[in-house]
Amino acid sequence: MNKYLADQLFLVVCLVVSVLLYVSTDTYPGIAQKTSAVYVRFLAISFGSLAGVQIFFNWFDRSSPDKIRLADHVPKFVGLLVALILFAIAFEPFGFFISALIFMPAVALLLGSRNYQWIAITSIGAVAFVYVVFVQLIGVNLPGSGF
Amino acid sequence: MMIEYLAIVFTIPAVLTIVIGAFAGVLIGGMPGLTATMAVGLLVPFTYSMDPTLGLMLLGGIYCGAMYGGSIPAILLNTPGTPAAVATAIEGYPMSRRGDGAIALKTSVYASFFGGTFSVVILLMFAPILARQALNFGPPEHFLLALMGLAGIISIADANTSLMKALITGVLGMLIAIIGTDDMSGSLRYTAGSIHLVDGVDFMPALIGLFSMIQMLEIASQRGYEKVDTSALNAPSKRVKLPKGLGKFMALGSGTGTVIGILPGEGATIAAFLSYNFAKQVSKAKALFGKGNPEGVAAAEAGNNGCVGGSLVPTITLGIPGNSVAAALMGAFIIHGMIPGPELFTIYADRTYPFILSLFIANITFLFIGLSVAPYLARIALIPPALMVPVVCAFAVLGSYALNQSVFDVYLMIGFAFFGLILKKLNYSLEALILGLILGPIAEAGFSQGMIIGKGSPTIFFASDIAKVMWLIIFLLLLPPLINYFRNHRKKNG
Repeated sequence: MNKYLADQLFLVVCLVVSVLLYVSTDTYPGIAQKTSAVYVRFLAISFGSLAGVQIFFNWFDRSSPDKIRLADHVPKFVGLLVALILFAIAFEPFGFFISALIFMPAVALLLGSRNYQWIAITSIGAVAFVYVVFVQLIGVNLPGSGF
Repeated sequence: MMIEYLAIVFTIPAVLTIVIGAFAGVLIGGMPGLTATMAVGLLVPFTYSMDPTLGLMLLGGIYCGAMYGGSIPAILLNTPGTPAAVATAIEGYPMSRRGDGAIALKTSVYASFFGGTFSVVILLMFAPILARQALNFGPPEHFLLALMGLAGIISIADANTSLMKALITGVLGMLIAIIGTDDMSGSLRYTAGSIHLVDGVDFMPALIGLFSMIQMLEIASQRGYEKVDTSALNAPSKRVKLPKGLGKFMALGSGTGTVIGILPGEGATIAAFLSYNFAKQVSKAKALFGKGNPEGVAAAEAGNNGCVGGSLVPTITLGIPGNSVAAALMGAFIIHGMIPGPELFTIYADRTYPFILSLFIANITFLFIGLSVAPYLARIALIPPALMVPVVCAFAVLGSYALNQSVFDVYLMIGFAFFGLILKKLNYSLEALILGLILGPIAEAGFSQGMIIGKGSPTIFFASDIAKVMWLIIFLLLLPPLINYFRNHRKKNG
C-alpha cells in the first residue's frame, strides 16, 4: 500500500471514530452530561475536523507514491514482533527468568549474531543483573522470581 | 532549609544512587540507538518500589549522564550516541581524525558540565518562583496549561511531522486518555468490558512502546549495519590543555540550551544545533567550522546539557514537560504521588529540592568519568545491535510489566510500538501522542471542574487575566508552524 492511501485510510478511521465518540456522549449519565460529555464532544469535534482538513490537504498533494515500508528486513521485523508476543505469553506461566533466557538468545540468533559465547554472556549477564538489582535490591516482584 | 536538603543528598545511598545513575546514563547515551528518553522511560517503573527521592535521583543522574554520553562516540567514531550529539560530531570527529580527539573530548566534557550546571542553577532559582505563580491557577487555567503543553510540542512540528499531523496525534493521545472510569460520574467509558482498562491506559507502556520498542524494531529490521571507522579510537591518549577562548562559546551554549529547554516541547537536539549555529555566527574562525572547530563542540555540548535543567522548569512547576525525557521524568513524579505544581515545593519540598541538588552531583560525576575514562567508553558504541536489541527488549517487557504487574501492559506496549511505527512512517508526531496521553487527564479534570464553576458556560476558560495570557501564549506557540505550514503548502503548489 502506498503512503497516500495508508494515510487517507487512517484519517477516514479517525473521522469515523470521532463521529462514534460524539454520538456515544449521549449515553453519559447525570452530571457527566454537563462536564465529561462536553469535553469528549470537544475532542471528537477537534479530532474529526483535523482529520477532515488533513484528508482535504492530502487530496491536493498526492505526491507520495512511495510504498509504506515498516521494515527493510521483513523476516527480522516480524520475527522480533512474534518473539515479543511469545515472551509476553510465557511471562506469567514460566516466569521472567526462564522466558528471558530463551527470548534473548533466540532474538540474537534471529538478528544474525553467531557469536554463541557473547550471546550466552549477555543473556546470563542481563538476567543476573535483573535478579540482583531489581529483585534483590529494589524489591520488584516478578513472576517466577524464585524460579 | 537548604542545609537539610543538602544533608539528604550527601548520604551514602543517595550519592551512590546518583553516581550509578550518571554512570549508567553515560553508558546508555554512548550507545547509538539508545536515548535518554528510552533509558528514563524504561527505568521509571522500577523506581516505583524505591524510596521516591532515591528513585528520582537515579533518573536525574541518567538524564544528565546520557546527555553527555552521546558526545563520546560522536567525537571518536562519528556515531552520535544520541540525536542531540549530532552537532558535536560535525566538529568533534574531524578533530579526532587529525589527532585532536583528546582535546575534543576534554572540550565536550567541560562544556557539558558547564551547560548542565548552569541550567540546574536556573532551575533552582526560577522553579520555586514559577511554582508560586501556579498557586493562582484554577481548574480553567489547568485545562489551558494542558493545551499549552500540547501547543508547545506541536510548535516544533517540522518538515517530517506537519502541524496538522502533530495536532491529530496530540488529540488522539487525549482521546486514548479518556478510556477508563469517568471521574465525574464514576461510570466506565470505552473499556470494551475489559477489567484491565478500568483504570485507563497507563502512559508508561505507551512511553516504552513509542520511544524504546520502536527504536528496537527499527534497528532490528535494518538490512545491514554500517561499518564504523574506529581508527580514531587507537590514537594515543595524551594529557592536553583546553584551547583558550572557549568560555564564551560554553556560556553561549549554556544560555541557549537552558532557554530552549524551558520552552515546552523544544528538545536537546534543537538546543545543540541552535547553540552550534550561534557559535558559528559569532566565531572569529568561521572558516574552521565543519573542519574540526572546538568552539562548535563547546557550544553544542553546553547547549544540549543546558537543556536538562531548563526542561525541568516547566515540568515540575506547571506539569508541562519541556521535552520527551522530561515527560518520562514527570511520569516518575506522578507514580510516586507527586503531582507537578506548587505542591512539589511545599508538601514534597524534602524530595524535590534534594532531587534538584542531586543534578549537581550527577554533573560532577560525568565530569570525572569524562576526564578519566571517556576514550574507553567509546567502545560501547561498537556493541553489535544483534546483542543489544534482545537485552533492551527484555528490559522493555520487564518495565511495562513492573508498574502494575500486568501482562496486559506488555501487550499494550507492543501494540503502541507497532501502531506508533505505522504513524511514524506516515510522518505523525509520536511526541505529541505521548504528551496528549499524559496531559489528557489534567486537561479533562480542569475542563470538567471549570464547567462546573462556570455553570456550564465555556466562557469561564476566557474569564481570568491569566487565562487570557495563556490563550495568547497558545496562539503564539501555534503561529510560527502555522505560517510555515501554509508557506510550504504554497511553495509546493506554485
